[in-house]
Amino acid sequence: MHIILVEDDLQLGGAIQQALERLSYAVTWLRDGREALLAMRDQTADLVLLDLGLPNKDGLEVLAEARRSHVNTPVIVMTARDGLEARVRGLDAGADDYLVKPFHVEELSARIRSLTRRAQGLAANRIDVGVISLDIGTCEAEYRGKRIELTRREFSLLRILMERAGRIVRREHLENSLYGLDNAVGSSALEVQIHALRRKLSFDAIRTIRGVGYMIPRDPT
Amino acid sequence: MRTLSLSGRLRWMIIAVLIAVLLPLGLYSYFRSLKETRELLDGRLAQSARTLDVMIQHASLDVLHRPEIGSLVVPILSRKAEEQLMHGRTYEAEVGYQVLDMHNRMRLTTANFAQLPLPSTPISGFENIFFDGYGWRLFTLVDDTNNVVIRMGERDDSRRDITHALWLDLGLPQVVGLPLLALLVGWAVKRGLRPLNRLRQALASRAPGSREPIQLDNAPRELQPVVDALNTQLERWEDALERERRFSADVAHELRTPLASTMIHLDSVKASDVSPEAWSALTSAHSGLARLARRIEQLLALARLEAGAAAGQRTDVDLIAVAMNVIDELAPLLGESGVDFAFAEHNDTLKIRGYEAAIAALVRNLIENAMHHVPLGGQVQLAMYRSQDAAIIEVVDNGPGIPVERRAAVFARFHREAASSGDGYGLGLSIVQRAAQLHGATIELLDAPSGRGLRVRVAIPDAA
Repeated sequence: MHIILVEDDLQLGGAIQQALERLSYAVTWLRDGREALLAMRDQTADLVLLDLGLPNKDGLEVLAEARRSHVNTPVIVMTARDGLEARVRGLDAGADDYLVKPFHVEELSARIRSLTRRAQGLAANRIDVGVISLDIGTCEAEYRGKRIELTRREFSLLRILMERAGRIVRREHLENSLYGLDNAVGSSALEVQIHALRRKLSFDAIRTIRGVGYMIPRDPT
Repeated sequence: MRTLSLSGRLRWMIIAVLIAVLLPLGLYSYFRSLKETRELLDGRLAQSARTLDVMIQHASLDVLHRPEIGSLVVPILSRKAEEQLMHGRTYEAEVGYQVLDMHNRMRLTTANFAQLPLPSTPISGFENIFFDGYGWRLFTLVDDTNNVVIRMGERDDSRRDITHALWLDLGLPQVVGLPLLALLVGWAVKRGLRPLNRLRQALASRAPGSREPIQLDNAPRELQPVVDALNTQLERWEDALERERRFSADVAHELRTPLASTMIHLDSVKASDVSPEAWSALTSAHSGLARLARRIEQLLALARLEAGAAAGQRTDVDLIAVAMNVIDELAPLLGESGVDFAFAEHNDTLKIRGYEAAIAALVRNLIENAMHHVPLGGQVQLAMYRSQDAAIIEVVDNGPGIPVERRAAVFARFHREAASSGDGYGLGLSIVQRAAQLHGATIELLDAPSGRGLRVRVAIPDAA
């Protein structure tokens, strides 16, 4: 898989390139905004890691221009700038995700997997999160290498959670996705599904954040 | 002490000055006119006596030379009848006179003076006497050549009527005029101070963080320097704030980037094959770095809080939405740390007026603090609800808690509770405290309902 890394800091760029190559990604490292835009327009990359503070052309501009010229490659914005505003502007400009520096390699690779899963998942027909894998084509699931049987709803539920592994998926979102706006479904229906999934995987594979939603950890057990 | 407004003070000072000048002047002219009037009336009395004297001399009246006729009495109309006759000439004085011959015998008298006792030895001049229930001003004229004594009197109350009328004419306009004057002075002062009022409005309507200088059209000469000085100060203030904002953003950038590369290098080394000793050293380095990163974030958050609050505007903040965002950001901590986190039953929204970033920092630090003080398998619960006139943010954990006597100390910056799991989260509480302060909120450290653990309760009042 090919990743374009745009980062002007030599140390950080080198570190990220090294780490990603260790994870078997092909990395093209660029240090300049204008070059980055040209490379993105080629559309040869599967993902772009974009720093916001760049020489020649600001990261946000690069992103906005790329999106204007219909570059649909997933983009993760990396920022060392302060919080909320930079993130919001990044997402507004068309970023798919953001990371605030400093971050761990795990965090980075989880985000990359999550995005490429969605982008590439359909092509590869597979989603892997640690010991759990899903085959989207055949609707089959494996846990610790063993095949497990899932109902259609259980499969949908697991897929949503796995696509966002490491993040909390809101209860309401899950309910809407699974049951649509069908109000007749009791509030316990989702819990029943989760309970069933846990019995087939493991209790800790799906975490409950009471009052908020559910999540599958980045490294489920 | 009650503070008077500038216009109020000016008005009262002007009125006081007017009274201080006008009152003595008025009193002086009152007493002067009283004296003049008295002299005038005395003069008239004397004049009347002399006129009578001359008339008697020329008329050679019989009554004066033929005592056997007895004295002549001149009738006097009652005052009322006189008024009717004269159509309200109110200054018609009540007068009376006596004419005596040289043997001190009364020859001629007005009816009202018929009973006036005769003098033993008449002397020319004025005197005040009391007779018939009234005070009189009496003038005696002894004319030796004409051999008559003329006594002419005027009742005091008639004279007083005249002076009273005079006083009314003089004083009434002042009595009526003073309140009117006060009103007019008030109006004039208000109008004169209008530029000050405009300045106040210009200052009040200024948006926080605005860099527009204050402009006052037709500012008076005294006010323009004030406006200029204000503008200079405002500009400096905004510049300082801007520098502070930029500084904290720059510091953030300068610190985070090398931290990020170090962190990733460490991760990479850990992922490669290393000896167990090296691995354990790397793990320590790793957690040390994580702590450093966290401290930096907290210091930056604190700096942002200060700068943001100084420049920022309060907005409508939905506590639930803020909490959800924070929970999303903390997902790895909440979902993967082996501590059971729950967001208690809550409404869809809970709105307050405040600073969103500060509230987010507050909620985040409360949760992180609790999560780090709770042992594996413990519980942390966030609750948000409305209670009377405050919005409540509450975080309850079942960790070791804080003894009552040490609760006050935990809010000191950099303080670290000895029993904590090692990370210095005292800075986190400083952030919570500062964010609460910005909203006029109170923080209470209480026992957890279960008896074990800590319950931190932040109450944000509605009207602030």
